[in-house]
Amino acid sequence: MSQKPIIYKSWRELPLMTASMGDTTVNKTGSWRNVEPHHVEQVAPCSLRCPAGNDVVGFVTLAAAGKLEEAWHLLAETTPFPGTCGRVCPHPCETECNRDHLGGAINIHSVERYIADYFMDKPPEQKPGTFSGKHVAVIGSGPAGLSCAYHLKRFGHAATVFEAHSKAGGMLRVGIPDYRLPPEVLDAEIRRIIDLGVEIITGSRVGKDVSFDQLVHKFDAVFAAVGFTNSRPLGAEGDDGDDVVPGIEVLRKINLGMDDGVGNKPLVVGGGNTAMDVARSLLRKGKDVSVIYRRTRYEMPAIAEEIDELLAEGIEITFLATPVEVLRENGKMTGVKCIRMKLGEPDASGRRRPVPIEGSEYVIEADCVITAIGETTDLEFLPDDIRAKTSWNIPADELGRTAFDKLYAGGDVADGAGTVTAAIGYGRRAAIAIDAAFRGKPVADNAAMSPSLRERTGYAIPFEEINTAYFEDLPRSEPGSLKVSERIKTLDEVHQGFSEADLEKEAKRCFSCGTCPACDNCYIFCPDAAISKVKDDKNKLYLVDIEYCKGCGICAAECPRGCIVMKAVR
Amino acid sequence: MRALPHLKQFTEVAEQEIMHSGHVACPGCGAAIAMRLALKTLGRRTIIVFPACCWAVIDGPFPYSACSVPVFQVAFETASISAGAIRAGLDITGKKDINVVAWAGDGGTFDIGFGQLSACAERNDNIIYVCYDNEAYMNTGIQRSSATPWGSWTTTTPGTDFKKERKKNLLEIMAAHRIPYAATTTVAYPDDLIRKFRKAMSIDGFKLIHIFSPCPPGHKALEKDSILESRYAVESRVFPLYEVEHGTHYKLSMDPPQRPVRDYLALQGRFKHLTDEQRDFIQKSTDEEWARLMHFMKVSEAVE
Ligand SMILES: Cc1cc2nc3c(=O)[nH]c(=O)nc-3n(C[C@H](O)[C@H](O)[C@H](O)COP(=O)(O)OP(=O)(O)OC[C@H]3O[C@@H](n4cnc5c(N)ncnc54)[C@H](O)[C@@H]3O)c2cc1C
Ligand SMILES: Cc1ncc(C[n+]2csc(CCOP(=O)(O)OP(=O)(O)O)c2C)c(N)n1
Ligand SMILES: [Mg+2]
Repeated sequence: MSQKPIIYKSWRELPLMTASMGDTTVNKTGSWRNVEPHHVEQVAPCSLRCPAGNDVVGFVTLAAAGKLEEAWHLLAETTPFPGTCGRVCPHPCETECNRDHLGGAINIHSVERYIADYFMDKPPEQKPGTFSGKHVAVIGSGPAGLSCAYHLKRFGHAATVFEAHSKAGGMLRVGIPDYRLPPEVLDAEIRRIIDLGVEIITGSRVGKDVSFDQLVHKFDAVFAAVGFTNSRPLGAEGDDGDDVVPGIEVLRKINLGMDDGVGNKPLVVGGGNTAMDVARSLLRKGKDVSVIYRRTRYEMPAIAEEIDELLAEGIEITFLATPVEVLRENGKMTGVKCIRMKLGEPDASGRRRPVPIEGSEYVIEADCVITAIGETTDLEFLPDDIRAKTSWNIPADELGRTAFDKLYAGGDVADGAGTVTAAIGYGRRAAIAIDAAFRGKPVADNAAMSPSLRERTGYAIPFEEINTAYFEDLPRSEPGSLKVSERIKTLDEVHQGFSEADLEKEAKRCFSCGTCPACDNCYIFCPDAAISKVKDDKNKLYLVDIEYCKGCGICAAECPRGCIVMKAVR
Repeated sequence: MRALPHLKQFTEVAEQEIMHSGHVACPGCGAAIAMRLALKTLGRRTIIVFPACCWAVIDGPFPYSACSVPVFQVAFETASISAGAIRAGLDITGKKDINVVAWAGDGGTFDIGFGQLSACAERNDNIIYVCYDNEAYMNTGIQRSSATPWGSWTTTTPGTDFKKERKKNLLEIMAAHRIPYAATTTVAYPDDLIRKFRKAMSIDGFKLIHIFSPCPPGHKALEKDSILESRYAVESRVFPLYEVEHGTHYKLSMDPPQRPVRDYLALQGRFKHLTDEQRDFIQKSTDEEWARLMHFMKVSEAVE
């Protein structure tokens, strides 16, 4: 082993004291790293799950900061119906909400409703896009049709909506009862769409008042959003009398302020939203109403809360039974012969198929039957050649594109999703596709997402990525509602909205999953001073200095909301 | 800018970056975080004295230094008296606005520099003495110190010979000196740490700040978990955050909901050999220490 020679120096050659001449930034400790942090904003599970594509974290956190007008505009990017959805949407966003594990999911729908109601009478100004010269015909003024027309207008195209009924709104108008969706709310939201420049022609049924071919010739594109308008027949003996009425027919009459035209002891058949709504509406009209459903509560397709409320209002549901014959004496209904059922093998929908129990027939007293066992499409308006190529629906892709020239379709008539939000989202995606076709551009993969979220890369922060040390375990707030004894007497809205204090409290509970509010935790805790705050870039908040980051991962661990992900260094 | 006030966790931390990147602390070092936050608060008119300890190395090899303030490297046992001497020199030249900080490890504080620490405190030298406590002699390879807790593995207390002596209670010892200010803090609570440094800066005389500072290699913990470990130390009451003024006035800084000591132990490989009974024993002694601390708090309140 060779030894280095020792060099002897006199004390004169040494400095008086050793002193540093520079700082350690010459030492590029980044080379130690085998994982590295990336500051990325991700899409929260709530936003990802919203069928309308709303930026949920975006509007909730803006509301929390008191920036209601900004929150309203953010919602306006995706939906013209926040007041409606804040009331009737079954809010899948809340099912996905990570807060569920810490005090309960954020009451997102009440926050959305608050923002909408706050500006209901005087909405902030909204401008249509610069006119492109293109004009689209929309068939049906339900949420799908109006959403499409609204967005087309925003993108700069003219839109004319043809509606068969005397009033616009589709099932929002003639299906969902006033006690869940007051007509003033719907009026205000439709008014907003008209004010933006959308033309709505009511009382004009395509296929009768105007032909489909005319539309195809006259317009640059046609969007069909005719929904579900036909009621399925009961399929029991004697179901052809006029004392057997479709539920949506009854709801339409009640919703339009007409006489419901049914007897005093109605039997509602079915377990979906229509059944719940028609039964509860008739209860409010003072009728002795009851419901019969052939499976169990577990299989009921209605929104769970609606079932709870119906039961709370004292309406009885007979489970596992179905009508087989309508009994009449002298042409007047005296009762309905029903048969008991049991659950067998699962059917196509995955729910267990009900099978009749032989010899179990019995009679339920009733003077009329309201059918609510499902609705289907009415595609009579389509010309025969197209009609021949459709089935129960108009087949369309996610962007509403069909196999037919100029024809787009969306909402219930295309996917039968059966929710308002899904219809709104479908309408919006179709508008995006129509716009892209007009402009000869391709449609981006993530077009369905709110524009505020399109730059984001990662998706759906799981609860495990939330650092709960930074959040208090606060309970979810619920706004008040009318007492049962009061609500069954009127068509007044059952649920109230948030007070200002409630709104603030609730919105502030939001984890803001995946959206960085610049809390500075990553900056504060970095042991290597390798994360700096970016001042002048709107889209960048923090910069990781890769030359010095040792990859410890503290920034990612202490990020309260999953905005930093560690990736392996290649 | 984008900050939503209610989602901000900590109050504004000074922007000035006095501790530079490129230092050679291990990834996830708690002592590096402590220094960075301390220097942000102390500002540039600060002189630091390092005895032998990790930080003497972290600061960088000659001729570089991670701290852009004057730094003195002194013999292991002399942090406090060297700082006291620097203060005396500054006083003679009439420089009053400079923070003189002795920054020592637990070995240099609890053990080898202990005599001098006591002397300096007794003389009430006007310095801030910081002990960043990683609970062993980490720089030389994880040997036990009198700050190492009961039950811990170190290279000098291996296997079944894990440490069987309790951790010295530094704050009680310093309180007995009746120094104007002594406090515990840790890196998971930047607001607390910054506040305590600010307070120390405003007081004349001997100040001691005891910082619990996780050490991933020494505690056999994950690098990313340093803040978590620090937080669990406080939540489990293993390392309560409090202040003692004039040796008699105890004040608890925070009292988060109690977390079982097991959660804290589970993060660290240095405790992994412990049996359930031994873990229960640690829980019991932690609870006893807490009760004793609460007693001090009560007495302090009664005096006031
Ligand atoms: C009673 C009831 C309660 C409901 N409750 C809820 C709820 O609480 N939450 C929820 O999310 N969803 C609910 N739904 C479902 C929801 O209302 C629908 O999924 C949604 O309205 C579908 O929207 P759409 O635009 O596709 O069609 P629709 O809303 O059905 O609108 C279609 C429109 O097209 C018009 N039209 C049809 N044919 C023509 C033609 N040839 N020419 C011109 N116009 C035509 C119709 O008159 C109608 O106005 C409920 C449905 C019903 C029936
Ligand atoms: C008098 C003397 N004895 C031993 C050493 C070797 N030595 C240098 S640093 C160190 C450990 C210091 O431990 P601690 O004070 O806890 O600081 P840490 O390294 O853990 O940060 C030792 C033993 C020395 N430098 N001087
Ligand atoms: Mg040590």
